[in-house]
Amino acid sequence: MLLKNFSFRRIAFLTTVTLLVTFLTLPLIAIVWRALPLQAEGWLSDRTFDALRLSLSTATIAAALAIVLGTPVAYALAREDFFGKPLVDALIDVPMVLPPAVAGLALLMTFGRRGLLGPALANLGIELPFTTGAVVLAQTFVAAPFYVRAAKAGFAGVDRGLEQTSALLGVSDARTFWRITLPLAAPSLFGGALMTWARALGEFGATIMFAGNFQGRTQTMPLAIYLGLETNLDSALALSVILIGVSFGTLALVRWVAPKGLGLG
Amino acid sequence: MLELAIRKRIGEFTLALALTTPKNQIVALFGPSGAGKSITLAAIAGFVTPDAGRIVAGDHILFDSTQRINLAPQHRRIGLVKQNLALFPHLTVAQNIAYGLWRAPATAQRARVEHLARLMRLEGLVTRYPAQLSGGQQQRVALARALAPQPGLLLLDEPFSALDAPTRAQLRGELLGLQRELQIPMVFVTHDLGEAYFLADQLAVIDAGKILQADAPGKVLSQPDCLPVARALGVKNILPGEIVARTDAGCRVRIGAAVIGAPTCAFAPGTRVYACIRAERVMLLRADRAGQSSDENALDGEIVRQVNDGMTATLDFRATTQRLAPTQDYDLQIELPVYIYERLNLARQRAWTVSLRRNAIHLIRRDDETTDRLA
Repeated sequence: MLLKNFSFRRIAFLTTVTLLVTFLTLPLIAIVWRALPLQAEGWLSDRTFDALRLSLSTATIAAALAIVLGTPVAYALAREDFFGKPLVDALIDVPMVLPPAVAGLALLMTFGRRGLLGPALANLGIELPFTTGAVVLAQTFVAAPFYVRAAKAGFAGVDRGLEQTSALLGVSDARTFWRITLPLAAPSLFGGALMTWARALGEFGATIMFAGNFQGRTQTMPLAIYLGLETNLDSALALSVILIGVSFGTLALVRWVAPKGLGLG
Repeated sequence: MLELAIRKRIGEFTLALALTTPKNQIVALFGPSGAGKSITLAAIAGFVTPDAGRIVAGDHILFDSTQRINLAPQHRRIGLVKQNLALFPHLTVAQNIAYGLWRAPATAQRARVEHLARLMRLEGLVTRYPAQLSGGQQQRVALARALAPQPGLLLLDEPFSALDAPTRAQLRGELLGLQRELQIPMVFVTHDLGEAYFLADQLAVIDAGKILQADAPGKVLSQPDCLPVARALGVKNILPGEIVARTDAGCRVRIGAAVIGAPTCAFAPGTRVYACIRAERVMLLRADRAGQSSDENALDGEIVRQVNDGMTATLDFRATTQRLAPTQDYDLQIELPVYIYERLNLARQRAWTVSLRRNAIHLIRRDDETTDRLA
């Protein structure tokens, strides 16, 4: 019995699990350990507070944009057949694999002063780079695909027969969407929105390229952490702990709340 | 009344069927998987648009390719109960039933839900969610929901296939009672012959996108039109033969080495036919009674094989001299209830005389094409 319990398979499994889990969690523990003895100034500095406020608002707007623009696209990808659908489907994924720095440069080449659309926008009095709007744009660019993916899977998972049954009961397509499709896909939409929000909150590369690093305007938490490494480590540590907390909270919500269907029976 | 005449090509498959049913009848579309039953329902419901044709329910034209009428499913006034029921999982029983009543005032909705819940014996369950119900209860909710907006036609797509046998039998009975009470025409799809026979006023046998025969179930069962129908309806003994004589009283058919008396038929002597004999219509004669009736085609022989599933015994019988199917090792398949099997001591007693009563024999024309298919 004892020999069986400590078979090679079991030992190999326990060793690798221990190694990997330690490798993944030790850095987080290190940050929290360093941050705990921090004085109030570290937690409540202007820079920390500005970055927190800016990050929460921009990530929320980015997630909202992803929901507004992404929901119809996700529904169409899941339900409709249209010309170029495979291409659209593939293009949606591009930002997920594109290095964020490339994404930032790409946005600059598009909306920048000498970018593709820059002069036209300038004529309209709109200048995007190095503004809070640029932060939102960079976050949306990088994070929206997470929502579209999740929402598409959610819509595809709703039995078509339910929608057909609804139609035969005399209910219009729009009302069917609101009463059947949307509530049943809601857990996936919610999970996708949460992941998008978390990804937007952590966005660094594209933001620093396209929006710069100005406190209160474009300096989100990841940027403040980066800058803090040179100027104010306490502030960086505090922000990191907050982001770690948000990450774990998001994962917990996605894992525990979303599958329960948001209390939808 | 339902009038159906549609044609639809889907890849290699062509659906081409016409069916007219009298008022308020239950029509069963019976056939193997892939025969086109479900596409037919989808066409009636409006989920599939036929290439050409006409679908009329009562005085309501649902589809007419020449008049360019093609009503949206929303306007067809059709109730549907799907195989998987398609209950809305996030809505309660009451909300499910009331789903199609959303235009009606709240009080009218409540009254209708209450009425249907009582009719379908769902009182006390209306606040539950579908997942909290038994299969039979879910079935009743699906039926109540489909009936709530008072549709002109009810479609049922293998509605009982997911249920256990006792529940299925009970719900079949309830459905029949409901149909007689509400006087609503129904079309239901099944590949269960017993279900089709029990429920249907009209049994339409479908195969490869065509209606092979549509008639009263008893008629289809005892007098299949053609070889595929006989096969689909489970006729075990389909024996090739030839008419040798015809009189007003009946005709005589040569089958293998035997000449058998059959009912009157329209076929001239020399016509090649199939003799269809249902396995449960072959009678075993007790030795002391054999040969007493001149009306019976009596064959002596022995039982060469038997299978017993606990309810029905299936026997393979081989005639001693009057072989009907000389190429096989047996001539007739016989089915009888197990209690008779036991009472006759069939497990031991192998030598028997069987009787083919004239009216148990149904003749269908045999042409060369079908001969080839049988061979």
